Amino acid sequence: MSAAASPLLPKEDAREAALFFVVCALCFLAALSGLVARSAYAAADAWTSDVSGEITIRVRGDDAALANAVEITKATPGIATARPITRDEAEELLRPWLGAGGVPVSLPLPRLIAAEAAPAADAPDLLRRLAAALKSAKLDTIVDDHLVWSGDVRKSIDLAGLVALIAVGLLGATGLAVIAFATHATLLARRDIVEILHLSGAQDGYIAGLFERRFLMLGVQAGALGALLAFGAAAFILYLLRQSVAQIWLLPELSLSLADGLILGMAPLVAGAASMIAARVTVMRSLSDMV
Amino acid sequence: MREQGLAADSPVLRLDRAGVSFGPDSDVLADVSLSLSPGSLTFLTGPSGAGKSTLLKLAYLGLRPTAGRVSLFGVDTTHLRRRDLAPLRRRIGVVFQEFRLLDHLTAYENVALPLRVLGGQEKAYRQDVIELLTWVGLGDRLDARPATLSGGEKQRVAIARAVVVKPDLILADEPTGNVDEEMGERLFRLFRELNKRLRTTILIATHDLALVRKSKADVLRLADGMVVRVPHAAEPKSPPQ
Repeated sequence: MSAAASPLLPKEDAREAALFFVVCALCFLAALSGLVARSAYAAADAWTSDVSGEITIRVRGDDAALANAVEITKATPGIATARPITRDEAEELLRPWLGAGGVPVSLPLPRLIAAEAAPAADAPDLLRRLAAALKSAKLDTIVDDHLVWSGDVRKSIDLAGLVALIAVGLLGATGLAVIAFATHATLLARRDIVEILHLSGAQDGYIAGLFERRFLMLGVQAGALGALLAFGAAAFILYLLRQSVAQIWLLPELSLSLADGLILGMAPLVAGAASMIAARVTVMRSLSDMV
Repeated sequence: MREQGLAADSPVLRLDRAGVSFGPDSDVLADVSLSLSPGSLTFLTGPSGAGKSTLLKLAYLGLRPTAGRVSLFGVDTTHLRRRDLAPLRRRIGVVFQEFRLLDHLTAYENVALPLRVLGGQEKAYRQDVIELLTWVGLGDRLDARPATLSGGEKQRVAIARAVVVKPDLILADEPTGNVDEEMGERLFRLFRELNKRLRTTILIATHDLALVRKSKADVLRLADGMVVRVPHAAEPKSPPQ
């Protein structure tokens, strides 16, 4: 005898397979969006921390002016190191744009100094003093601490992160709506069971519990598969990026980290919890319209 | 609710000028008053469309009256909150003409359903359910699913499901409508036995006037939206329209 083993809510294979696919796809997109947002923030941190404390001085003039500027920079309190950037180094920096063929000898390259501020230095004050010292030596220079550039990078990444968060929010809301719709459809299709349960004295919470458990399991399973697929897609994208030198230069810190694991691990839990809540709210609201 | 008990002479079911309307000029029940005393066995007859099923629906709290009052076990249900209806429903067993068994459950599981809903442990009620199915003659069909049962067998499972929680009131809506005459009489004997052995109050809505005549039970006739008590000898001999 099977004795109370059968679930009170029978499985509906075709409908649930379609719902599983939709929730899985939404979780895949949401997890991927989360990974993209996390990677973008990580890349921005890497970029900006690379240039943090670095000062680049462009010198207009001959080699003597460059040497003079290097000496003045080194002598400025708050500067830890300063050295001229060689032509080979400048060509290396330009390689992503001009290719591996090298820079024509006839192309004049700016004379640059790479300086590094001491860790405790007050950056704005140091820049002011350095610029004043170079100017008083009648040198035509531009002092750049990359703050404007890193600020622009940060703004762009913040915007990209916001877009990714909105995408995750929209995908989540879509998922909730889909689960609510599916729950309502199941409730209508299984009205006979609901009526018999009511006649047997079941409270609304008992009936809602049947739907909750059904959709919790569906959400967890679909979320897990979606997260797994997102992990596979992210790993594949990283693999493709690593095949391209230029892309790797642009995206220095792209890799799967513990934070990514957390995002992927949370996906099935969030999908399960959201599915369960959506199912409960839908069932309770629908039942409240009944006698 | 059950703890409140019921005075010996208090009606199990009482309708006071109850009406059900689904809009202007569409009264299904106009002005129904009736009272069922504990331990009574009563037939509800009337022509098709007279509202017998609607009246039973009022009684098993599947519908609220749009006029008048419905009281069960001494409790006025008219304005009860949803959550307060469940304890009353647990004291009522309902049998339908179309059985309303759950197709994905076995006969045993269908009968055990109300006990499962009440949170009972399977090992605590298993023997009772088996005995009940044996009593209705289905002790050898415990694992059969409704699709493999005949109409009479399905109705006996439905009756077993209705009585498994030992209800104070059983409401049956055309319980012999989908079975042959012999099975109809056999089902009625089950109702009669329940009524005598457990003093369960039973209300049976039926078209089966031959069964009504043989039973010698009380008869209520529903027509034109109202109920009248019919002396047994006066029960119409022609079939209802």
